[in-house]
Amino acid sequence: MAEVTDELKEKVIKYLETVPHAKNRDVARALGDEKALVDKAIAALAKEDKIEYIYLGASFVKLKGKKMVD
Amino acid sequence: MADETPLLDELEKGPWPSYVTEIKRMAKKNAAAKDLLGIQEQSYKDRVTHWKHGGIVGVTGYGAGVIGRYCDSPEKFPDAASFHTMRINQPAGWFYTTKSLRTICDIWEKYGSGMTNFHGSTGDIILLGTTTENLQPCFDTLTEAGFDLGGSGSALRTPAGCVGQARCEWSNIDTLGLIHDLTMEFQDEIHRPRWPYKFKIKASGCPNDCVAAIARADFTIIGTWRDALRIDQAAVQEYVKKGLDIQELVVRRCPSEALVWDAKTQELKLLVDDCVRCMHCINVMPKAVRPGIEKGATILVGGKAPIIKGAYLSWVLVPFMKVEPPYDEMKDLLRKIWEWWDENGRTRERLAELIERLGFKTFLREMGLKPVPQMVKYPRSNPYVFFDR
Repeated sequence: MAEVTDELKEKVIKYLETVPHAKNRDVARALGDEKALVDKAIAALAKEDKIEYIYLGASFVKLKGKKMVD
Repeated sequence: MADETPLLDELEKGPWPSYVTEIKRMAKKNAAAKDLLGIQEQSYKDRVTHWKHGGIVGVTGYGAGVIGRYCDSPEKFPDAASFHTMRINQPAGWFYTTKSLRTICDIWEKYGSGMTNFHGSTGDIILLGTTTENLQPCFDTLTEAGFDLGGSGSALRTPAGCVGQARCEWSNIDTLGLIHDLTMEFQDEIHRPRWPYKFKIKASGCPNDCVAAIARADFTIIGTWRDALRIDQAAVQEYVKKGLDIQELVVRRCPSEALVWDAKTQELKLLVDDCVRCMHCINVMPKAVRPGIEKGATILVGGKAPIIKGAYLSWVLVPFMKVEPPYDEMKDLLRKIWEWWDENGRTRERLAELIERLGFKTFLREMGLKPVPQMVKYPRSNPYVFFDR
């Protein structure tokens, strides 16, 4: 599997700016990237404290600090 | 804050232990526990929960292991306005030293309510009630002491298994080694939720299934044997001498009629092909009947409690798999299942529900497995059969 690049992480952040929250799969589909790689990028961004996980009946990711929408 | 709790007091009556009594004990030294009593009394009075669930809670880098709880009446119950649960990954088989238990309790008295639940239904240590501010320092202290969070949300839940060969002579697999290995391998899947919904792995060392893996796991591992039961005829005769009615209590109760009792020769015979390895005869005559020699596990899929659809028991996917480190065959199968489920599952759809929606045939094709009779969940009711070719 390819490595997570800064470019991919930037793409994930850009996408999450356009939605209140998303499942990892939705992010991968929107970016047209491999899901497993997007999973890794999201995990890396979570460790960098740039995104956070939320639970709304199931788990989603959102940009850190972005207002929550139910 | 509640000084009078007449409705909760009812739960202290009777000869059994009461969690209300335990919370009252804690309330003498912890303000959050006192407000917890108040919230519950209020809920009983109003007949509605006063807890809100979910939202953003967690520690840096993790999306699992903390379950957010907020009270909807913080002005009335300020000391339990947030009362989050932390799930801590239990050691395989739930073996602890007293030192490690004291360490957990000391940390929790410092950062939380001091109340615990050993253990939650998934198997984790449950630490009940802390504030949002205390989550990160509590987590940091726990990890320094060698603990880590367990799973929650749309993630792999903390794998769990029976005590296995550590204490049980019937265990056909090393459940402790397996569960520990899977837990370490799939740390990212446990801590960073990325799937449609939750996924549970549980392992029992034998078909007695002491951890009820068949009813509680999407991926169920049950230790079994591929060859034949071992019967010690001399020990069988000892049971007869002691008055055991073998015909009635063993042979007649064999669910697949795989045993024959020859009263004349006092010999118990096994029809190997008919044995379904249920453990009944072993349980009744443990000194005379033992599992076979070629040991491994049956892998089942689909167990779950009702949420979207009803409760499911797991059913057979792989009748026999060797279970030896590094468990690559099992890990490869798990990854294949997750990939398919993640690609096709709807939000909050468990594996069993997806298999039912798209068909077991599709699932088997995607897994690269051929259908075998052991996979049959129940007899078909449709008399019409259409063959692909």
